[in-house]
Amino acid sequence: MLSRVAAQLYWLSRYLERAENMARILEVGQSFALVSTSDITRADPETIKEPLVITDTLEAFKATGRPMRSDQVAQFLAWDPSHPSSIFNCIQSCRENARSVRGALTVEMWECINDTWLELLVKKKKAKGSNHPVDSSFFEWIKQRSHLFRGVTFATIQRDQPYNFIRLGTYLERADNTARILSVKTRVAQAEGKDMVDDYYRLGAVLRSVSALEAYRDTYRDAIDADRVSELLIFNARVPRSLLFCLEETSYILDHLPQQTGREARKRCANLLTHLRFGTLNEVYAQGLETYLEEFVNENIHLGDAVQGDYLEVLA
Amino acid sequence: MVAPIYNEMCDASGQPRSHYQAFDAWLKACPEEMVHQKQTEADLISRRTGITFSLNGDEDGTERLIPSDLIPRIIDAHEWADLEKGLVQRVKALNMFLHDVYHQQNILRAGLIPSEQVLANAQFMPMMLSLDLPHQTYAHIAGVDIVRHSDGGFYVLEDNLRVPSGVSYMLSNRILMMRLFADLFRSYAVRPVEHYPALLLQTLRSACWVEQPTVVLHTPGRFNSAYFEHAFLAKQMGIELVEGSDLFVRDGYVFMQTTEGPQQVDVIYRRVDDIYMDPLSFLPDSFIGVPGLASVYRQGHVVIANAMGTGVADDKSIYPYVPEMIRFYLDEEPILKNVQTWQCRKPDELSFVLANLPDLVVKEVHGAGGYGMLVGPTASKAEITEFALRLKANPNNYIAQPTLSLSACPIFVDQGIAPRHIDLRPFVLMGKETRIVPGGLTRVALREGSLVVNSSQGGGTKDTWVLESTEVR
Repeated sequence: MLSRVAAQLYWLSRYLERAENMARILEVGQSFALVSTSDITRADPETIKEPLVITDTLEAFKATGRPMRSDQVAQFLAWDPSHPSSIFNCIQSCRENARSVRGALTVEMWECINDTWLELLVKKKKAKGSNHPVDSSFFEWIKQRSHLFRGVTFATIQRDQPYNFIRLGTYLERADNTARILSVKTRVAQAEGKDMVDDYYRLGAVLRSVSALEAYRDTYRDAIDADRVSELLIFNARVPRSLLFCLEETSYILDHLPQQTGREARKRCANLLTHLRFGTLNEVYAQGLETYLEEFVNENIHLGDAVQGDYLEVLA
Repeated sequence: MVAPIYNEMCDASGQPRSHYQAFDAWLKACPEEMVHQKQTEADLISRRTGITFSLNGDEDGTERLIPSDLIPRIIDAHEWADLEKGLVQRVKALNMFLHDVYHQQNILRAGLIPSEQVLANAQFMPMMLSLDLPHQTYAHIAGVDIVRHSDGGFYVLEDNLRVPSGVSYMLSNRILMMRLFADLFRSYAVRPVEHYPALLLQTLRSACWVEQPTVVLHTPGRFNSAYFEHAFLAKQMGIELVEGSDLFVRDGYVFMQTTEGPQQVDVIYRRVDDIYMDPLSFLPDSFIGVPGLASVYRQGHVVIANAMGTGVADDKSIYPYVPEMIRFYLDEEPILKNVQTWQCRKPDELSFVLANLPDLVVKEVHGAGGYGMLVGPTASKAEITEFALRLKANPNNYIAQPTLSLSACPIFVDQGIAPRHIDLRPFVLMGKETRIVPGGLTRVALREGSLVVNSSQGGGTKDTWVLESTEVR
């Protein structure tokens, strides 16, 4: 298939996944803020900042001059047109990419993305002033639209290169997101040695944000603790948002793309995968969880670059 | 002196014509709410499937729907049979003319068309001289604009031989109508049009000598007003929709950039104008073209459809000579009539035009899309005075025609049903064989009294039904 088309499919799914992840982060942050225990107060400045730290946008947020309040953080991350990865901009980019490669999508896939965009515009118009919706029903809606697109894709598109590039974008973006959330959230949990109740809510929020709370209970049948959360989200092969799962999928997809190209991407993927398949939590801790995850995020970015260079902008 | 407008649905006494009787009966039996409900449903379907048309120069990239009216334009079998013959004849002659002017130029030697009209024409491309094309086909796809005058006869308004568009609306109107009015299709034997993409692909594949050719559709990109159509057709034909940056030239051949590496391209169905096709040969700052394409074309290593330089045959200054072409090349009498045309480059015709501007339609010879024209009867005094100055400054650039009273067909409006002017653009596919799907695109001027049907000027479309026979099932 055309390299340009493959690139646009890959990016449309990355943007959609990014929008979904943003919604997950903000939704969990909000429900967390509603829980008031002795140690966690709603106005904890570190908690308010967290979504910005996770998405690496603290400086960009400060530059807007908005006051550091949770509603302002949510407005910025969900709706700010000047923030390239705001949910609004992600959905717009997703739709723009889809629009230029409509021929490679099924009608149902296009209608799903286009409807999402049109509805988002309606929500924007309905809002009074700059108070756009940032409540849990909005985030839930974004998640649902993303789920719907994946479902429609799964159910309607031929199992061919377009399908593979769409999925490739999803998993590369998702692995990045899980690593970032884990890094920021566990940093707080570990560093301050909070008590069990605190851990329960804080780590429970991490698990909920990646839809892994049930998986945790089924796997450990025990209280939530930081080590197990890390283990689950890094090494568990059955949890769809864990790092290992994302890389297994990426590897499978790369094996089903044209083999005459893509050598660098397959090599980098195999490297990452080896570390995840045969790694242990002790090795992670020896290196330091934060450093380990930072390294993973960087390697994952390199993998994305290799995909870009190998398939998406092949030079003549 | 004003002739009554020909109404497609009803005769002079107000009775529905025979091929409209079943529809008329159905319409009368329809409760009014249902019509409104269907219109809403139609708008929803169009919006969801993204049938849009973005205008050139729209800064925020907004999209406007081309309104689709739900009353079909019905053409009976006999009328269509004549139209079809006339179209085949006309497009065949135009192709022979193109081959001729780029080879022996017999028609110029015979003195039937003034040489300077062809050779000094901005659309004439010297690079096409003595280049032999497979099947001597230049205009693989022609969109011939036809109107019905108050005398009931069909007239050709213009021959679009460059990159005619609109066929996707013909197809989507049919899909829409079948979804909304299945019952109507049971009472009428409407000839199908849905196989147009298959015919088009066949035409393109047989347009080159390669056994299993790779065909691509070359679009200027998603900001082009007809992008929806490009994507739609590519998808329907199962071919790649490429932009200039996807193609490159190496060792005398054209390739496209794929995830598997370069792949050779044999036929380019281009929806890009001549001058943007190759920045090395034409406009150097064209980003939508392919550097070096013209030289590959000259070597016969790629087929471009439509061919380069077809504009010299559909130019409005050449239009008056088409009946002559038909007689010259085919030795036949033209079946389809031309609209009377005054050529402003001729001094006596210019003075006639200047004296009668309020009654005439004046067009630029290279213009398209309803831009840069004067519609005398609806123009203000000031507009006419201003246009006269432009006309006098550059008479070669203009032709004039009588204001035709385009036929009218009822459409749904807020207050019920009202007649609006329409035209018809059938699409003729030419190659080893000539194919036309029955019907074409009916465009409708939505404003009361307006004669401008172009979608860029607020026009809409209708489904066009050519009947199997005059008998209603």
